[in-house]
Amino acid sequence: MRLLSGALLVLVLLLGAAGPAPAQTFVFGGQGEPVQLDPAVITDGISAKITRQVYDQLFQFKGATTEVEPALAEKAEVSADGKVWTLQLRRNVKFHDGEPFDARAVVWNFERWMKTGHPQHANQLKAGQTFEYFEGQFEGFDDRSIIDKVEAVGSHTIRITLKRPQAPFLQNLAMFPFAIASPKAVEKWGTDFGKHPVGTGAFKFVAWKPNQEVVLEANPDYWGGRPKVQRAVVRNIKDNSQRVVALKAGEVHAIEGINPDDVKGIEADPNLYILRRPTNTTGYVAFNYKVKEFQDKRVRQAIAHAINKKAIVDALYGGSGLVATQFQPPPLWGYNKELKDFEYSPEKARELLRQAGLPGGLSEITWEDGKREPLVFWYMSRSRPYFPNPKEIGEAIAADLAKVGIKARLQTVEWAVYLDKRKNGQLPLYMLGWTGDNGDPDNFLCYFFCNPGVSREGFYASKPLADLLLRAATLTNQAERAKLYRQAEEMIHADVARIFIANNEPPLAFSKKVKGYVTNPVDDERFHTVEVQ
Amino acid sequence: MRRYALRRGLTVIPVLVGVSALVFGFIHLIPGDPAVTMLGERATPEKVAEVRRQLGLDRPIHEQYLLYVGRLLRGDLGTSIVRGDPVLADLLRRFPATVELGTAAIALALLLGIPVGIVSAVWRNSVVDGLARVWALVGVSMPIFWLGLMLAWVFGVQLRWFPTGFRLGTDAALEPWTHFVLLDAALQGRWAIAGDALRHLVLPAVTLATIPLAVIARMTRASILEALSQDYIRTAEAKGLPQAAVVLRHALRNALLPVLTVIGLQVGHLLAGAILTETIFSWPGIGLWVYEAIEARDYAIVQGASLFIAVIFVTVNLATDLLYAAADPRVKYE
Repeated sequence: MRLLSGALLVLVLLLGAAGPAPAQTFVFGGQGEPVQLDPAVITDGISAKITRQVYDQLFQFKGATTEVEPALAEKAEVSADGKVWTLQLRRNVKFHDGEPFDARAVVWNFERWMKTGHPQHANQLKAGQTFEYFEGQFEGFDDRSIIDKVEAVGSHTIRITLKRPQAPFLQNLAMFPFAIASPKAVEKWGTDFGKHPVGTGAFKFVAWKPNQEVVLEANPDYWGGRPKVQRAVVRNIKDNSQRVVALKAGEVHAIEGINPDDVKGIEADPNLYILRRPTNTTGYVAFNYKVKEFQDKRVRQAIAHAINKKAIVDALYGGSGLVATQFQPPPLWGYNKELKDFEYSPEKARELLRQAGLPGGLSEITWEDGKREPLVFWYMSRSRPYFPNPKEIGEAIAADLAKVGIKARLQTVEWAVYLDKRKNGQLPLYMLGWTGDNGDPDNFLCYFFCNPGVSREGFYASKPLADLLLRAATLTNQAERAKLYRQAEEMIHADVARIFIANNEPPLAFSKKVKGYVTNPVDDERFHTVEVQ
Repeated sequence: MRRYALRRGLTVIPVLVGVSALVFGFIHLIPGDPAVTMLGERATPEKVAEVRRQLGLDRPIHEQYLLYVGRLLRGDLGTSIVRGDPVLADLLRRFPATVELGTAAIALALLLGIPVGIVSAVWRNSVVDGLARVWALVGVSMPIFWLGLMLAWVFGVQLRWFPTGFRLGTDAALEPWTHFVLLDAALQGRWAIAGDALRHLVLPAVTLATIPLAVIARMTRASILEALSQDYIRTAEAKGLPQAAVVLRHALRNALLPVLTVIGLQVGHLLAGAILTETIFSWPGIGLWVYEAIEARDYAIVQGASLFIAVIFVTVNLATDLLYAAADPRVKYE
């Protein structure tokens, strides 16, 4: 032992103590290794964190909101039928490789995303990559896409013709996958472009050291104003606890992906502070409507009254949770402020069960085909933003249910099997959730409720709800749409279609040397406003 | 000796065949469709079918295995499902970091473990021995993950002596000639970077060395105690040799043979320990790479790396056995 500490001491003397990182560099502790840096083909948040610094979209999310503001496009006009969009592009913008940003470049990017025959699309397919977000947001490729054509109608004007109006069109364009890349650089690198990203963003790409860091350098000509730091480095730290250690050791200036249990320790540290990202994620408990007992609304209501959401949020979210009253998280503009949640009341729950003919509670369920089996409540085996501690949350819910006589056995299974069973409608009562992509209410509601009766959603079927949501998706007037989404939330609530438990506001932690970081619900966080003292 | 080497060498073949079958099989054994696991909540049936096709999961299983072995024989470990990079190239690029860390850890374990073992055997049942034995026990049972975090906490956060992760400071520019940072820095005459690299190496190396150090110390102690009870030691003592010479020249040489075997086995444990150590200290070797691949369900990487680690383990053990035979003339193999 003496030898060991002696050897350490010698090394320390030899090498000197660690110095702080230079102030002109902002070091962000990322959550792991990026997949690659071509925004059009990635789907993971770790990579997107970096591509957001290097590229711009035509639109972006404004500050801490999910509202859309102009970025590379300065102005957007839509025809009366909602099908033709004319976009004025920003002038005097250059890509980092010196190529001009203009209508031609934008059209080229759209064609690359849309057309499976485009050489820079086909080569990605061959390499096993797909343009997943384009497919998801714009309904497929080639002739299937909702986008009919994209044309340059001036050096800095483009016209996009849709087959049908798409309400969240600008919201979609503001998503990170629709960042505009330098056509010349994409053509030069082909499928390796993801290792040599070139955009118009606030930072230029310098180097990517595998499993270490990605180094970026300020773009002095950035149209949104010169970044306040010279360099930005994203260090890849896989382990959540170690990321906190690196922050406390002063090796990184900011981190995300913090265990709920670590938040208190960070708040107590005089050199650090916490910012929470406005919530964009909702965890829920869903019913299987092939279970006869759950077809009775009073049973669903009983369960809604039995769960003490506030206690769960207070105990298990590290101070980052909010009680959810509906599917949309509060920052979304379709959120229904008027909606009154089911109060926590075991008495009411018991009374409702009695009314439903279950005075002794519920421990066995009956499937539609007559099969009876013990009630199993499924929790996820994997932590997700909406349920950071799924097991503990599941246990808390089961304990609440037991108090009113609903005795469920807790069970989980490997994540893939879980999703599979859910897809096939085999789970009687289960936990899951959703994290939004583009801040549009449609992105939360339609995926779940536009296809009545699908096994994936536990066979829940409400035709009026589906019709209302489909109608809302084609309108372009936001106020009208908001009204419909508020109404949709009321319908879901009145029917107790499922029970929304919590929203999470993921915490980020910063050194007090750092100022000016703005958190955003859809993670649209750009480093150019960040200062390091 | 040569016949033994040949025979011992041939036993490697069934082991490797078995390993390749296991590594191949595990993608089919784990519960759940790998394609669904990879795609998560947003999986559409078309997407799942496409990924299954990409992974070759839609073919009959024997066909898949033959294809797999065929590729292996051509030195093709496949391509990463997540990134699309060839697995072998990635592996070779990351391996030097693991070798650097592993070498430092083994060196530390030997330099400290053997002397501690000797001291505690010679002064058997003394206070020193007691401490060394307790320490060895603690070391063997120490959860590496916890130890790494504690070391990072004490020496990184509180004392700020050493960095808590990575191979180099932020934005250090070094040409990766050999991918061995220390070597590259020395070759390029970048002494400041070499010093920085050394400082980064300390905590992970100490963490990774803990278990092998304890094992080596215990093995050395036991083995020296056994040697000290031999007749030739009594003879050496009887002819009046000083104790140091008796222990170091006569006992140690013989006692080190079993230690050699242990060191060979420790290399395997080291590679396993590297997965945790590299993850805690963001050390960019194959351990961290495999950990990330497991999380991302990148089966191609997990398969390739498992096979690679198995091959290394088998090779090191083969080498140890051969060394053993060469080093100890008393050992006769028929």
